[in-house]
Amino acid sequence: MQNNLEKLQEQKSLFTCLVITGLGILVATFFGKEVVKIVTDFTYIPAGGTLVVLSFMLSIRFRSAGNHGKAWLLFLGTAISWFIAETTWTVYELVYHQNPFPSYADAFYLAGYPCLFLFSLQYLKPFKKLISKKMLISTSLIAISVLIPNLYMTFDNNSSESKFAIILGAIYPVADAIVLVPAMIGIVLFFRGEVNFLWTLLLMGILFEVIADTGFQYFTLNNSYYTGHPIDILFLWAYIMFSFGVYSHIQIFKKEAKISGSKNLFDNKLTN
Amino acid sequence: MNLDQEQLRKALVSLSVESALLKIGGPVYDKVVKQLSKEYNCYLPDCYEHPEYLNKVLKKIFGNAYIPVVEAIKKELDDHIMEKPVEIFVNTISE
Repeated sequence: MQNNLEKLQEQKSLFTCLVITGLGILVATFFGKEVVKIVTDFTYIPAGGTLVVLSFMLSIRFRSAGNHGKAWLLFLGTAISWFIAETTWTVYELVYHQNPFPSYADAFYLAGYPCLFLFSLQYLKPFKKLISKKMLISTSLIAISVLIPNLYMTFDNNSSESKFAIILGAIYPVADAIVLVPAMIGIVLFFRGEVNFLWTLLLMGILFEVIADTGFQYFTLNNSYYTGHPIDILFLWAYIMFSFGVYSHIQIFKKEAKISGSKNLFDNKLTN
Repeated sequence: MNLDQEQLRKALVSLSVESALLKIGGPVYDKVVKQLSKEYNCYLPDCYEHPEYLNKVLKKIFGNAYIPVVEAIKKELDDHIMEKPVEIFVNTISE
């Protein structure tokens, strides 16, 4: 009962965060592109920073031991990489007044994906016997299908953007689609389990990323993208989803006082 | 003599469960122990007599994915699986 209440409370907070972020960006838009640019850039930093802090807490908790310990270390790698990317983007845009796409920030954004993929593999490793070929094929087909709009845009455009920028923009949804596969498998595997909430939020976060990256590519090719564009809300929502997913895991596996103060449960109970 | 044998089996089963869970992660082991205590007022060695508690806790945490955890426990108990009480334990946590 208490667990259900906690879950409900968590979902309420998640919903509130999503609404506040979305409304914040939309309201800032009314004050002009410069204002929304600053607001968005400065929202990305705490959003990415929160994910780093939460992932760090979970990594410390798991102490890099066992499959999940290694997995959370890899997830921390993703969070740090994306946080550096967001900071680099903001510095390019607000300090140097340069177009941050393409830039070194992309190297850090992209570096986060292999870590995220390896995180999923490491997390799912103890459960690999349950992953059937059928499951792998069907999730891969879904992932490929979400790529179609992006691939169509990449090959059928007459944008003034450089070939490098177009290809770079197209890599993101491909990377999203790759990480989407283990996320979908995670949902199926842990169905009805407490850890399923993490995988649900990870999946939703990655889906937001897919739509946002496809939208980013579309509006960049149209020359209509600017920082603070409504598509940025989806990127921020992805961070929020990831953060709440990690937070739910912290809640599930939080350290508590030793049960009944016994030093060794074995010694005490074995003699009973 | 018989009692000693039972105690040994109890310890063996408990160690096997612990080892299988620790391979996934220390906090996973902690969570299972905590949940057993909270919901059934039972410790890990007690699962030898009440394997159904462990079965329910694993299902609650991992949902459908509890089976590979059970498989891992089974693997740890491989050398003793022919012993009837161990077989009963394994079958109950697999249900």
